[in-house]
Amino acid sequence: MRRGTGTLQVSREARVNAGVAITAVTVVSLATAIIGFYGLRISRTTGDFYVASRTVRPWWNASAIGGEYLSAASFLGVAGLILLSGTDALWFPVGYTAGYLMLLLFVAAPLRRSGAYTIPDFTESRLASRTVRRVTSLVVVMVGWLYIVPQLHGAALTIQIATGLPPWVGSLAVVVVVCLTVVAGGMRSITFVQAFQYWLKLTALAVPILFIIFLVAGHGTEPQSMPAVNPTGMPPAGLYQNVSLLVALLFGTLGLPHVLVRFYTNPDGHSARRTTLIVLGLLSVFYLFPTAYGLVARMFAPGLARSGQPDAMVLRLPGELVGGVPGDLLSALVVAGSFAAFLSTTSGLVVSLAGVISQDVLGGSVRGFRLAAVVSAVVPLGFALMTGSLALAGSVGLVFAFTASTVCPVLLLGIWWRGLTDAGAIAGMVTGGVLCGGAMIAGAISGSGLTPPWLAQPAAWSVPAAFAVMVIVSRATPHRIPGTMPRIMTRLHTPERPLATER
Amino acid sequence: MTRVRVTAPRAPARTPVRGAGRRVESREAAQDSDVGQVFVRSLIRSQLRLALVVAGGFLLILAAFPLTLLVVPGLADTRIAGIPFGWLLLGAGIYPVIGLSAWLYVRTAARNEARYRDLAGEP
Repeated sequence: MRRGTGTLQVSREARVNAGVAITAVTVVSLATAIIGFYGLRISRTTGDFYVASRTVRPWWNASAIGGEYLSAASFLGVAGLILLSGTDALWFPVGYTAGYLMLLLFVAAPLRRSGAYTIPDFTESRLASRTVRRVTSLVVVMVGWLYIVPQLHGAALTIQIATGLPPWVGSLAVVVVVCLTVVAGGMRSITFVQAFQYWLKLTALAVPILFIIFLVAGHGTEPQSMPAVNPTGMPPAGLYQNVSLLVALLFGTLGLPHVLVRFYTNPDGHSARRTTLIVLGLLSVFYLFPTAYGLVARMFAPGLARSGQPDAMVLRLPGELVGGVPGDLLSALVVAGSFAAFLSTTSGLVVSLAGVISQDVLGGSVRGFRLAAVVSAVVPLGFALMTGSLALAGSVGLVFAFTASTVCPVLLLGIWWRGLTDAGAIAGMVTGGVLCGGAMIAGAISGSGLTPPWLAQPAAWSVPAAFAVMVIVSRATPHRIPGTMPRIMTRLHTPERPLATER
Repeated sequence: MTRVRVTAPRAPARTPVRGAGRRVESREAAQDSDVGQVFVRSLIRSQLRLALVVAGGFLLILAAFPLTLLVVPGLADTRIAGIPFGWLLLGAGIYPVIGLSAWLYVRTAARNEARYRDLAGEP
């Protein structure tokens, strides 16, 4: 059996049984494809799609949104970061969840009522400008690509740890499975796949950690270290970094391209809110488990922090603390869950990106959609293969900062402020994109250890800057407020007539 | 195999595709009047105020959590069932606050909309 021969030190007992792990990955990929194709048979025509949108229960819909949202960062990254940084890292799960609260408060119902299917659709109809549409499309594609890269890094890491195969196999496997299902049509707006993957992810995290907790408590194992002790001796994050991170996560969630598409499957604005409420419950339950992993690892396996791959902690903990055949089986479950995370988030992003690219560049044919899907998945694969894996939660945090500096201002001001103009929207998005993107590039060049905090976490200044430029330029160009504005604002905010399904 | 793209129309500023386009049109026609626009503006204002109040309240509580741990000495390390209180508060205690804020918002937002319906004379 081939084992990892990389430069990274993998403690012997913490390896995962390769055969079991490969089986787990294969089963998840096949299940994803099969449920996808089965779902395709159910909803095949436009009529079916709309009918389905009326009959999808909020619970299914909420599970699907949760399934798409919980990415590699949530599944592997958060727990690894908690192991490294302790309570400072607890702001990540809190921020990911609270971001959905902001989405509920400011965006959910109006966006559903806008009838737009993608973010560029929304900005074009709100501001009556094709140029705004193009700029938004560009930003959305960049956000999507940036967000797919950490998923592929996670897959590379998982495959390397679990099977000993070279890391690129994991990235390639995710891209191939996603491309096949999306191109064949299997993942197209299929609620069932994503919903299934939420519950798979929850089970795959919950069962091993509960097993470990019972085992540790039953044996009366003495903790090796206190939770407050930092296993690597890294300095704690400052106040600025925590605040800036929260700004990024709270405002970044609003603008994620794959989130909006799912709201379309709600029949009306009110049910969009109810669905979001359930999503918040599902996320709250889910994030208890990465926190538990982090805490248990800090107390009973602090050595995992020193392996140089904190993101792999979730994968290694069952082998480290349980061991034997039960340890192998629990590890396989975690590997399966992590692949569900990579697949669901990547396919959600690829579908929404392909929609944007095919409509704006390739004329919107079905062939164009398929080509666009391949492009949307292969470009980030190139990035992922060229770059090394940073801390997953950290790199996803930067994507949230980028979204918060570009898409979030145009959505918030577009929904709530009558004075927004196309010129203001473009100026704001470009400002936010250049500032935040520049900080990300500067940070990547200077290396992770040397970046000053204000550059490593740009959201605290790039988001206000984007808002300010958007408001100032809009104020300066009031003649560009489109005549359709009152009508669109009315549509965004007034309730639909009560449907028979309501109450 | 028939595959369908579902997107808004490409032409700017047209009514986006809806399941029941006609119904939407007539609804909006009724709201184009000056009086209708006054009601709409007041609805938007009250929904925005509600969202800001809930968001502000939540952020205050969020900030209060770590402050409490800082201000009260020893509280962060007090153990409940073997888990330090600081971890319980930040790792689990915030989620009920998020859920409660969300629930309050959804209820009140639906009420605002019901009031608007009454005012605008919709069924």
